[in-house]
Amino acid sequence: MQADRRRLNAPAGGTAPPVFASANTSPPRRRRKADEHRKIFLQTGIVPSAAGSAYYELPPDPATPPLTRKSSLKITCTVHGPRPLPRNAAFSPNLLLTTHVKYAPFATKTRRGYVRDSSERDLGLHLETALRGVVIGERWPKSAADVVITVLEGEDDGPAGAHSGDMGSGWGMLSVLAGCITVASAAIVDAGIDCVDLVSGGVAALVHDQSSEITTVLDPAPAEHVTRAACLVAYLQSRDEITEMWMKGDAGGDLGGLIESAVQSATLARTVLVEAVKDSTEARVAAMSPPELPSTDAASKGRPKDVVTTG
Amino acid sequence: MAADPSPAPTSLSFPRSTFAKLTPGPFLHAHLKQNPPIRPSGRTLTQFREQQITTGSLTHSHGSAVVRLGDTTVVCSVQGEILKAADIPSPPDESADNEDLLETLGLLVPNIELSTGCSPAHLPGNPPSTLAQSLSWKVRTLLYGSEIVNPEDLQIMFTAPKIDEEDDAPVPEVKAYWTLYLDIMFISLDGNPFDAAWLAVMAALRTTRLPRASWDADREAVVCSPALEHYAHLTLHTTPVTATFAVFSTANPLKQRSEAESWVLTDPDTSEEEVCREALTVTVDGKRVLGIDKAGGRVIGMEAVEECVKLTFARWKEVSTILP
Repeated sequence: MQADRRRLNAPAGGTAPPVFASANTSPPRRRRKADEHRKIFLQTGIVPSAAGSAYYELPPDPATPPLTRKSSLKITCTVHGPRPLPRNAAFSPNLLLTTHVKYAPFATKTRRGYVRDSSERDLGLHLETALRGVVIGERWPKSAADVVITVLEGEDDGPAGAHSGDMGSGWGMLSVLAGCITVASAAIVDAGIDCVDLVSGGVAALVHDQSSEITTVLDPAPAEHVTRAACLVAYLQSRDEITEMWMKGDAGGDLGGLIESAVQSATLARTVLVEAVKDSTEARVAAMSPPELPSTDAASKGRPKDVVTTG
Repeated sequence: MAADPSPAPTSLSFPRSTFAKLTPGPFLHAHLKQNPPIRPSGRTLTQFREQQITTGSLTHSHGSAVVRLGDTTVVCSVQGEILKAADIPSPPDESADNEDLLETLGLLVPNIELSTGCSPAHLPGNPPSTLAQSLSWKVRTLLYGSEIVNPEDLQIMFTAPKIDEEDDAPVPEVKAYWTLYLDIMFISLDGNPFDAAWLAVMAALRTTRLPRASWDADREAVVCSPALEHYAHLTLHTTPVTATFAVFSTANPLKQRSEAESWVLTDPDTSEEEVCREALTVTVDGKRVLGIDKAGGRVIGMEAVEECVKLTFARWKEVSTILP
């Protein structure tokens, strides 16, 4: 492989991830109910220089012992724009939306490269279709907006130890995409781009439980289950629309039931999304409401003084 | 009673943010002209931004840190991987001393990524910018140059068992090395990327714990112990701290040099960096100066450099108490 001349590269001999002597640890088990979503942490406005930004995390369960610690999803999203298209670009009556999803090199068990691979480009495309149905593009002719997502920590691919080359491109990809959809929705609202509704992502899966019967669970953590099929939807609750659906595996006859469960999972994620958007809007209104009085507020609150600028 | 006490709204008045965007230079100048000079952010000239360090939040890393410096946020992860001595194309001499072993083999691999959407100036989809490449290189130079990491921590030794009584005592040999990947991702960029990145590197290295690795002669491979109590911290020789200063000057080719005024701004943010044409980065460790890097301009003289070094020593004291 040719070395990347713009980055500092690994030693010429090539390195391998450490191999561990087998530890007899029990794989993590699902402690939640089948229809319970993991706790979501969602906050907007983490990148002040961007038009809109948000951070999404599924914090690890504090009850799990440190040795069996599994991935806890961490995603940041920034939205740059809408900004005018460059002069030489062709006319566009709609907002040009581009999405960009990249895993950090340390996001999965196996290190990833710095250059986007095809699975990341695929995630970006799925995200774009999910968002395209929500954004009112006609309101922003001749402009463009970039949605940039960095996955700081991905989701495991399957039960611990089952895969050696764990790149986060198996079952875990669906949870990551659901997180991407929810966080991008929050960031787009934070950027003030008009939307028809809030879109949220949700995943449901058919899994083999301990007695090897098949059950449907919401928001599966792939490390905890043997998954048979999984389904992701991007769902607009108030319009009852699905802008993106992605199903993997053999769902058997009950397709409708699985989709219905995924929609239910998206509805749960939406409650957190609504809270985060409400918080950010309230904060923005509060920042706007005391109109800037040049002389009074500076002295009393110790804020930087306004100065007279001439010329 | 003649004068109207209420300030009449002037005919042309913009909020602060508009002035800052339209004329960043005069805006900063107007702030610094005050007595005492106050920067637009409300800081004094020598004041650093608030920092916040969180460590150990990444699952797949051996050490990690999130550092906030005002509105600049950086994540640094340290991941160890194994380089087999047999795989090295041109192995170093047995007699060579350990000192530049790390650099010869390239066992520390720092990379800075700015294309994470951290600021509108660094949009992804492009190869790393010159700034990102130069920052990676600076971190690399400082890591190797100040000999922070102990080479012995990264060597995986093996002593062959004695077969015959008559043999000499077997000599331990190096079978493999740990390679440390330092990935530094900017989440949010608001000026002074190098200080933030370096602080994150130091915090991550200080919390790095590598598993105990041993050479398995039968499998011809390195095997690590999964037990948590066998993880060991790195022994770091030094704790360098960097501080960056920017110089704002009203110097102008059309004016006399004596008319120009200048101010040294500690820990500049993006709005200040954009209008400053001279910068100084000082690296110190305890009582030693490890490096002074001055870029451009002709304002900073000997005294100003000494002043900056003093400020950096004070900064070192402050930072070394908060580093984990």
